[in-house]
Amino acid sequence: MENNLIDLSDLNLSEEELFAPVDNAGISSEKITAPRYSYWKSVFRVFFRNKVNIVILAALGLVIAFTYIYPLFSNYDLLENSMNSAAKNLSPSQALSALGYKLKWILGTGKLGQSVFDAVWNGSRISISLAFICAAINMTVGVVIGAIWGFSKKVDLFMTEVNNIVGNVPYILVIAVMVRLFTPSFWTLAFAMTITGWIAIAYFIRTQVIIIRDREYNLASRCLGTSTVRIAMKNILPFMTSVIVTLLATELPSYISYEVFLSYIGIGMSEASLGRLIKEAVPSIAVPGWRFQFWSPTAVAAIVAVVLYVVGQNLGDASDPRTHR
Amino acid sequence: MIKYLLKRLLHGLISVVIVVAIVMLLVYSLMDRKLIFAADPQFAKQQANDAEVYKYVKWESFGYLDYVPYADYLTELKNAGEIDDQTKSEAASIGRTPDADNDLTKKYVEKFTKNYQSKGYTVVRLDFDKRTKQRAVLFAYKDVNVFLRLGKYFTSLFEVDNIHYVEKTTGEKLENTGITFTLYDPVYNSDPNHKVFAPAIMGNGTQHKYLLYFDNVFPYIHQNLLSVHLGLSYSVTRDTDIYHTMTDRQDPDRYVMQVYPAGGQAELTPYNLHTAVYKQGSRDSLELYQRQFTDDYTLVSNYKKSFSKIGFSFVIGLISVLIAYFLGIPLGILMARRKNTFVDKLGTVYVIFIIAVPSLAYIFLFRELGGMAGLPKTFMIQQATKMMYVLPIISLAMPSIANLMKWVRRYMIDQQNSDYVKFARSGGMSEGEIFRKHILKNAIIPIVHGIPGSVLGALIGAIITESIYLVPGAGYLLTEAINKYDNGVIVGLTLFYALLSVLSLILGDILMAFVDPRISFTEKAR
Repeated sequence: MENNLIDLSDLNLSEEELFAPVDNAGISSEKITAPRYSYWKSVFRVFFRNKVNIVILAALGLVIAFTYIYPLFSNYDLLENSMNSAAKNLSPSQALSALGYKLKWILGTGKLGQSVFDAVWNGSRISISLAFICAAINMTVGVVIGAIWGFSKKVDLFMTEVNNIVGNVPYILVIAVMVRLFTPSFWTLAFAMTITGWIAIAYFIRTQVIIIRDREYNLASRCLGTSTVRIAMKNILPFMTSVIVTLLATELPSYISYEVFLSYIGIGMSEASLGRLIKEAVPSIAVPGWRFQFWSPTAVAAIVAVVLYVVGQNLGDASDPRTHR
Repeated sequence: MIKYLLKRLLHGLISVVIVVAIVMLLVYSLMDRKLIFAADPQFAKQQANDAEVYKYVKWESFGYLDYVPYADYLTELKNAGEIDDQTKSEAASIGRTPDADNDLTKKYVEKFTKNYQSKGYTVVRLDFDKRTKQRAVLFAYKDVNVFLRLGKYFTSLFEVDNIHYVEKTTGEKLENTGITFTLYDPVYNSDPNHKVFAPAIMGNGTQHKYLLYFDNVFPYIHQNLLSVHLGLSYSVTRDTDIYHTMTDRQDPDRYVMQVYPAGGQAELTPYNLHTAVYKQGSRDSLELYQRQFTDDYTLVSNYKKSFSKIGFSFVIGLISVLIAYFLGIPLGILMARRKNTFVDKLGTVYVIFIIAVPSLAYIFLFRELGGMAGLPKTFMIQQATKMMYVLPIISLAMPSIANLMKWVRRYMIDQQNSDYVKFARSGGMSEGEIFRKHILKNAIIPIVHGIPGSVLGALIGAIITESIYLVPGAGYLLTEAINKYDNGVIVGLTLFYALLSVLSLILGDILMAFVDPRISFTEKAR
């Protein structure tokens, strides 16, 4: 064994030649040998693991297609058959035999002889657009303000009072005043539904932030000198993703439902949305052959709302990192 | 604890005042004030100058502005002793146009204009209308600002009936005004040989004749001493306070055998003599009254058979709340215990159905299904049956059941993973015991917090359910008021709703502290 030892001084080399720094950046032993984890990939993996989701997603695709693409080709015209008195208030079977076997007559005709099928999808375009726009505005404003509200104790004191007050002003009154103040158009309703609508979302987010804010890992983070912005972005936001997606899933159908409600009580918009179609068809519920006029928009509103809700809920579940196992 | 709750209550009341102020700002200042006449048939009949005057008179009585006609100003001057009757009547006759005024009128018109303009009023003069031959008018008005209106509203919220009421409102001096206490209420004691013991407090000179009395209608003791003015209605129930619209019993009339105060034979009448209100000179005006009454307290309202608006809403709401708690909590527990089984999934489908489907759609669905089962689909007050309550109660209970199922399941499943459950399990407790003794006790606390809210919420009523089943309840009042631009009703209802919400939050906290001894309000951590 002793033979193998070399006396360095025998080599006649300088210090620099004997020792060279080793590049340790690529040392593989330092790597954590866990499988690669990508958040969004995992979300979709978990989401598609449940076969029900594929069916529901397909249904959502179909609804969106009928809502946004079908009206481009259907050329819906309310007064199309208004001069033809034989085409009014027909049941589906009557309409199909009287006006030809076309998709548009599959739900019968309305009181002006218009196609109920086309009217329903035209209405659903308006209603779903309203829901998306209101949700986008309310969620954005609500989440941002809710996060600040949850983080700052000074803001909390002030905003809690604001919430107590605004929460007690009847929501329908605010909407009614806005709708009366301007014209009852799509954008007025969108404005009216978002002017105080964000505050409930902000309050919800605030409560979630407060729950997570004081957890031990955030305390540890703060002790190590992490900035508040970084804590918010890296420690809390990932936690909130599933909460936000789940909230969005309940918000979207609620706007559709609320639009129907507003139209029913007479504070809705002037456009032929689903709510307006339902409201106008309420008298026809008493007439045996005319019931399709009421139940078609009602069923479509229900289907749209259920599909949006289920997709959102399951996406919310999938976006919770605790399910990524 | 009490100190904390009082502080909370005070805090709540302050926010209620701010809420009312905001609503006043919304309906009085933001909305066009001409809109209140949209649903007024009387306004449609008015023309030219009359219409203009009518508008200002109405605006004054609904709190928009302070309106002073020229004639009132002259009366004021006369009362102050500045002018005599002669000058007053001469000065009062204003000409067809300002140029046609006589000299005296000119002088007082100028004085009137100067006086009111300096106080910030706007003076309006409408000339003689040639087409309708209506006389020229002169008046001044000034908008009431929010703070003044708010102050006026809250100071006139409660009114105590007093013995100076008649003198103050009509100027008539009644003999022997005062309050009397009797053990034998005259309404029940028309026969001197048969005395009925019924204590009552009566007044003379007060607005109401009976201030406190007993009868056979719940709650058996009634009072007229303190009246509440939530807001005068303009178009929903014309010139009636919204408080009465909500709480007065409704048609049809109920007839009872009774004797009028003036004596005579017992008659079958719908008149509730306990509600007698003073009306000046009414007894002399009608021969019928002279036969029936002994004084000017002749204005009586009828006995009614049906519940009040709030009564209907509360009966339906309360029963459905009870059903919801008795079904929703056990079902939620069942779902949590049998997590991921068929029962749980079925329950989830139901919850999703209720959350996602528009309420209008499923209420109509329930109505159609109920109609097929032979249940009455609408309320018929004239032929009231118990069955007509079934469908509205079901329609209200179904969503509450779903909501309770959702939250009970959520809270219980959240508790399942907590340390104390793991500890109990390691100690060898059975799953059933863990659920009953540990998880349920903790999971039920947030549910308990909502109970006062849902009970008091039943007073508000349900908009869609009531309108679909034609229930004469209180739920539709706000919507109706909004659609008819009835500001008084809007403000009154907002105050009522806000008070209920403040109260239910505080009661919820008290109940929660009662159920969970760990919760204490004496020293809050945060």
